[in-house]
Amino acid sequence: MADTINLTTTTTSSTLEPVFSFLAQALTTLETTFYKLPGSAVIQRYVKSSHQNDPGRTILELILVVFAIRTLLQSRTRADRTGSHFIQFNKKEIDELVDEWAPEPLGAPLTPSEQYDLHALPIVAGQNGVKPKLVSTGKTAVNLASLNFAGLAGNEYIKERAVETLRKYGLGSCGPPGFYGTLDVHMDLERDIADFLGTEASILYSQGFSTVSSVIPAFCKRGDIIVADRGVNFAIQKGIQISRSTVRWYDHNDLESLEAVLQSIEKDRKKRRGPLTRRFIITEGIFERDGAMVDLPKIIELKYKYKYRLLLDESYSFGAVGRTGRGLTEIYNVPASKVDMLIGSCAIGLCAGGGFCAGSNIVVDHQRINGPSFVFSAAMPALLAVSASEGINIFRSTPSIFETLQENVRAARAILDKVEYLTIPSHPASPLIHIQIKPAYSPAASTSNALSSPSSSSSVGTPAPLSPPPSTAGSLHPVSAAMLTPTKHTRDHHEKLLLHPEVIEAEERLLQEIVDECLSQNVMVTKAKRLRGQENVEARPGLKLAISAGLTRKEIEKAVGVVKAVCVKVLGRRK
Amino acid sequence: MALTKPSTPSIFKKKSTTSLSPMASAASYLSALSQADARAREQMNGSPTSTPALSISSSVTSSSEDTVLHEEDDNRDGLALPARPPTSEQVFTTVHTEFGHCANEKFRMTSQHTRGEPVPGHVDQDPPYYILLSTYISYLILIVLGHIRDFLGKRFRASSYHHLMPRDGYAPLNSDFDSFYTRRLKTRMDECFSQPVTGVAGRTIVLLDRMSPDYNHTQLFTGTRTRALNISSYNYLGFAQARGGCADAVEESIKRYGVSTCGSRLEGGSSDLHTISEALVAKFVGMEDALISSMGFATNSTFIPALVGKGCLVISDELNHASIRFGVRISGASVRMFKHNDMKALESLLREVISQGQPKTHRPWKKILVIVEGLYSMEGTLVNLPAIIELKKKYKFYLFVDEAHSVGAMGPHGRGVADYFGINPRKIDVLMGTFTKSFGAAGGYIAGSKTLIDRLRVHGHSGPYAEAMTPPVLIQVVASMASIMGVKPPQPHASSGGLRLTHAPPPVEEEYHHPGPAPHSALPLWLALPQELSLGTEGATRLRRLAFNSRYLHNGLIKLGFITYGHPASPIVPLLLFNPGKMCMFHRMMKDRQTPIIVVVVAYPATPLVTSRVRFCVSAAHTKEDIDTILQACDEVGDVLDLKHGIPRSERWTIDEISSRAVELAGMMK
Repeated sequence: MADTINLTTTTTSSTLEPVFSFLAQALTTLETTFYKLPGSAVIQRYVKSSHQNDPGRTILELILVVFAIRTLLQSRTRADRTGSHFIQFNKKEIDELVDEWAPEPLGAPLTPSEQYDLHALPIVAGQNGVKPKLVSTGKTAVNLASLNFAGLAGNEYIKERAVETLRKYGLGSCGPPGFYGTLDVHMDLERDIADFLGTEASILYSQGFSTVSSVIPAFCKRGDIIVADRGVNFAIQKGIQISRSTVRWYDHNDLESLEAVLQSIEKDRKKRRGPLTRRFIITEGIFERDGAMVDLPKIIELKYKYKYRLLLDESYSFGAVGRTGRGLTEIYNVPASKVDMLIGSCAIGLCAGGGFCAGSNIVVDHQRINGPSFVFSAAMPALLAVSASEGINIFRSTPSIFETLQENVRAARAILDKVEYLTIPSHPASPLIHIQIKPAYSPAASTSNALSSPSSSSSVGTPAPLSPPPSTAGSLHPVSAAMLTPTKHTRDHHEKLLLHPEVIEAEERLLQEIVDECLSQNVMVTKAKRLRGQENVEARPGLKLAISAGLTRKEIEKAVGVVKAVCVKVLGRRK
Repeated sequence: MALTKPSTPSIFKKKSTTSLSPMASAASYLSALSQADARAREQMNGSPTSTPALSISSSVTSSSEDTVLHEEDDNRDGLALPARPPTSEQVFTTVHTEFGHCANEKFRMTSQHTRGEPVPGHVDQDPPYYILLSTYISYLILIVLGHIRDFLGKRFRASSYHHLMPRDGYAPLNSDFDSFYTRRLKTRMDECFSQPVTGVAGRTIVLLDRMSPDYNHTQLFTGTRTRALNISSYNYLGFAQARGGCADAVEESIKRYGVSTCGSRLEGGSSDLHTISEALVAKFVGMEDALISSMGFATNSTFIPALVGKGCLVISDELNHASIRFGVRISGASVRMFKHNDMKALESLLREVISQGQPKTHRPWKKILVIVEGLYSMEGTLVNLPAIIELKKKYKFYLFVDEAHSVGAMGPHGRGVADYFGINPRKIDVLMGTFTKSFGAAGGYIAGSKTLIDRLRVHGHSGPYAEAMTPPVLIQVVASMASIMGVKPPQPHASSGGLRLTHAPPPVEEEYHHPGPAPHSALPLWLALPQELSLGTEGATRLRRLAFNSRYLHNGLIKLGFITYGHPASPIVPLLLFNPGKMCMFHRMMKDRQTPIIVVVVAYPATPLVTSRVRFCVSAAHTKEDIDTILQACDEVGDVLDLKHGIPRSERWTIDEISSRAVELAGMMK
C-alpha cells in the first residue's frame, strides 16, 4: 500500500519535473530581464525595504494595484449591470419583453384648440413691416404683433446694403466661427455693438434666442450660485437648467425679495465656510413675459454690495428704449460696463438676425471657446451682420426714432390704461405691452365654483370677485368673508386659481376671440404664445402688443382703439 | 491676390513664435518645397502666368466683372484662372474662384450604395507605436511646461494671472484649472483657429492675414490678403456663391421681403415664404411635412425636448454633435450612449434597456428615441442605416437621424443617407438637417409626419420664442433645393396657387422611389430660376462632381500612404496627424505654399487625445486639378512630417500615377 503511494508520488514528481524546471528557468530569465531594465534596481530596493519594514504593506499595495487595473478595465456604460437594481434575464425572457413593449406615440396629435390657434396664425404675404398684407384676408393690416420697435423692417437703405453684401460674400458663411466662418463683417458688427453700448467687446451668436441659453452655461458651472428672477424668459430658464448651477429664485421684479435671497445665501456661506464660488444675478431688462422693467441702478447697487456678477438680458429693451435705443443702461444712465454680461438680440432690436453678448474682453473671449452655440454653430450670414450694423448706424444718426416710439407708446397706453376690463403689467415706457384680463372679469371668477373640488372646499371657499364688495357681507359664509379681506393666503389662492389650467384655457379662448376679431378689422395682434406646463412659473394669458416707431401717432391711436373696442365688446359680452 | 506675400513666412522663420523644436529644419524644408512646387507647376501647366489675358472674358459671363476678384490680375497662386483655358464651346456661368470650371465629364460619379454590400464601419487604424508614444510624450511635455509656466507666472507675473485668481470677494470667471488646456495648449496653435476671412467661402477664400507679436496672445492684422484654396468650408455642393441663379433669387427676395420677418413663428413672424419653403423641404427629403428653424444648433437644442421628456430614453451615438447633447440634456430624458456606429453594441444596449425598463422602478420606457447622425462631422463615417432600420423593426424604437452634413451631400439625388442607401425616408421617424452645409444658407429643418411636425410647431421651444428664419435665407434654401430637384414646367390645366402640397402619403415600401422634380407651384410665383437651375442639370452635375471629388481625394490619400477615417463616399475626409505639434506645422505648410491651401485641424477635445487630425471638406466647387493640388501638397508635407503610416510602401502609388489614373482610383471601393 505504502509502496503504491510512494510510486505514484515519484511518477507524478517525475512527470512534473520538466514543468518545474521550465518554471524555474522562466523565473530566472524573467528576473535577469527585469534587472536589465533601467531603473529596476530602484523598484527592487523599494519593494525589499517596504516589505522588510511592514509586510502588510506589500499586500495592501498589491491589492491597490489589482483594484486600479480593475477600475481601468471596467467600462463606464457597464456600470449599470452590476448595480443592485439590475435583473438578470435570459435570452428568451428578453425577447418576450421586447415583444411586449409598446411605446407611446412619438408625438401626440394637437388638441382642437391648439390646432385652431395654429391655423389662425396670421401669415404675412410679402414684406413684413408696419402694414403688411395678410395671406388670409388679402388686405393690409396694421401690425401690432411683429417686433419692429424702431421700424427698421423694410428700410430701403438696409435692403440696398444687404444686396451689396450678398454680391460680395454670398449668403451663408459655411462654417463655424472657429473654422473660417469669421468674416470681417462679423468683426465689424461686434465692434459696432461694443462701441454703441460702451463695453470693451462683444460676441455675436447666430440666433437671438440661443444666445442667453449659451452664455449662461459658458460661465455658470456646477457649484456656482445663480440668483434669478422667477419671471425670466424661457431661454434663460433653459440656460440655467443646463448650467447645473445652484439656483435661488426671487419674486418677479421684487428687489426686496432679491436682497433677502442674497442675504440668506451670504448667511449660508458664512455658516458653511465653503470655497468662494462664482455668483450671478440673472434678470431681464424688459421682461418678455409681461413687459415689466427692472430697476437697474438698484440691482447694480446690490450686485456690488454682495459681490455678484450681473447677467442682464436686454433682448426686448435693446433697440427699444433709451434716448438712442441703447436700452436700459441708457434710460438709467448706468455705464454698460457695470453690467458684466449684457445680452441683446439683433433679431428683435435691429430687425436683422442673431444675438450678442457684450462685456469685458475677458467675458467675451471666454465665450469664444466655451459658448456652446457659438462654437458649434455656423456663423451668421454676412448680409444679416451688415444689416444689423446699418441698424446701429441709423440709431446713431436718427435718435428721433425713439422719441416717436415713446410718443406712440404713450398714446397706446393712454387708451389701454382706461379700459376697465384689462390690467397692464408692463412698464409705461415699454414698447412691448402685455394686456391681461382683469381678474374680476376673468372666467376664473365664474368657473371657480366648479373648479374647487369638494375635498378642498373647506379651505378654499368661493372666491368672489375682489371688487366691488357685495353688500350682503353679513350673511356670508365665514370662508367667503375671508376672501373679501385679502390676506396673503387668499391672495395667493386667487393667483393660483387664475393659473388653473382650465381658467387659462378659458382665457386663451377669449383672447383668441379678441385676436380674430381684431384681425377682421385689419389690426394684427397676437396672444403671448407660451409653452404651457414647461415654464418655471405659469404666466397669465395675455395679448402682446409691439408698438412700432414706423407708425404715426394717429395710426397707433386708431389701431389701439380697435383693440380696445374689441376687448370691451368681447369681455363685456360675458357680463 | 495681393502682390505682397503676407508676413506669415517671416513669422515662421522667427524661432520665437513657436516652441516646437524641429522648426528650423522644417522651415528650410518648407521654402525648398514651395520653390520646388512653383517650378513643378510651371513645367506642368505650361506656365499659367502667361495665359491670363485670354481667360476671364471667355470663361466667365459678364456678370462676374464686378466681383471681388477683379483686383487680381495676377495668377501666381494658380487659383484665379483654370489650369486649362476653356475651349470656345465651353460656357461656364460660375466665377472660377467661387465654383471651379470643370468640363470633363469623366470626373463625375454617382453617390450611391450598392445594395447588399456591407457598410464599412468605423475602423481605428493604429499608427506605429513610436508615433503613439511620441504623441503622449508631446502632451506630457506640453502639460509639464504649462504647469511650470503657471507656477512661475503666478509668482513673478501676477498681473497677467489676475483674472484667474479670486479677487475682492469675486471668484474668477474662469478658474486656472478649467482654462489650463486653453491657455497652455490651444494658445500655442491659435494661428490655426478663428482665422478671419472675407468674401465668399467658395472654392477659394480670401484670408485677412494676421500675425502675432506675443506668442498668440494677440493677433494683429497685417492689412494684406491671401487667396487660398478652400478645402475647409462646409460648402459641399458649392452653393456658396455671390453670383448665379441662387444669388439673383436672393437679391430679388431682399427687394420683395426685406431682411427680417420680425418675430417668432407663432407671434407675427410667419411669412408665406415659410409655408412655401417648408413644403418644399418636406418634398425634398421625402417626408410629409417639415418645419424650419433659424439656426442649425437650435434645431436640435429646441426641438428634441418636444419629442422626449421624463420617462423616455434617448439612445445616442457616442460621437453625436454637441447640439444633440444640449437638446437631450434639456429634455430631461434619460440618456444611454453606444459605441460609435457599432450596431452590435446598439442591439445589446436595446435589449438591456427594454428588458430592464426605467432605472429603479423598472417601469417600461414611455418611448425610446435613437439619435444618430447621417454623416459624422469629425470621422466622416456614414451611419449604418440599413442595419438600424432592421433593428427598428424588431425593437420598435423611434429613429431620429441628424443629417446636418449628409443632406445634399449624399445620395444619387442629394437627399441624404436614406437616398444613398435607397431606403424610403418615411421609415425614419424624424429627419433633421441643416441648410448651412450643402445649400449655402443657414438654419435647419425637422421633417416627419404631419401630426408630429404640427406638434413641434406648437410645443417646440423655437415656435413661440425664437426668431423666424429671414427671407433671404429662405430663398437661398428654396432656390438651391429647387435646382437640385429640378422644376416641372407649369401644366396648363393644373390649378395654381395651392401652396401646400396635398399629395396622399404613399404607402411605406421597401424600395425608395425618387419623387421627381418639384412642381412649379411649389416655388414662389415671382421666382424665375435660370434654365440650367430649373432643369436640374446643374444640380445633378454638382452632386456628381462632389461624389467624384470625395472619392478621389479619399482614395488618393490612402494610396499616398496616409491614415484616413470615414466612408470613401463621404465629402468629409479626416487625415490623421496624431502628434499635436504636427497640427500647427501641417496647417502652416499648407498655407504657405505657392498655391495656399487652408485646412481645418482638430484636436482634443473634439477628438480623442491621440487622434489629432486634419479635416478636409470636399466641395463640388473643386475641380479635379484642385484635388490634385491638395494631394500633391499632402504628399510633400506628409513626407516632411512623417505622416504616411497607412498602407505598406509596396502598395502605394506615386502622385503622378494617382493624378493620371484618377477616374480608376475614384472608382475603387477601398
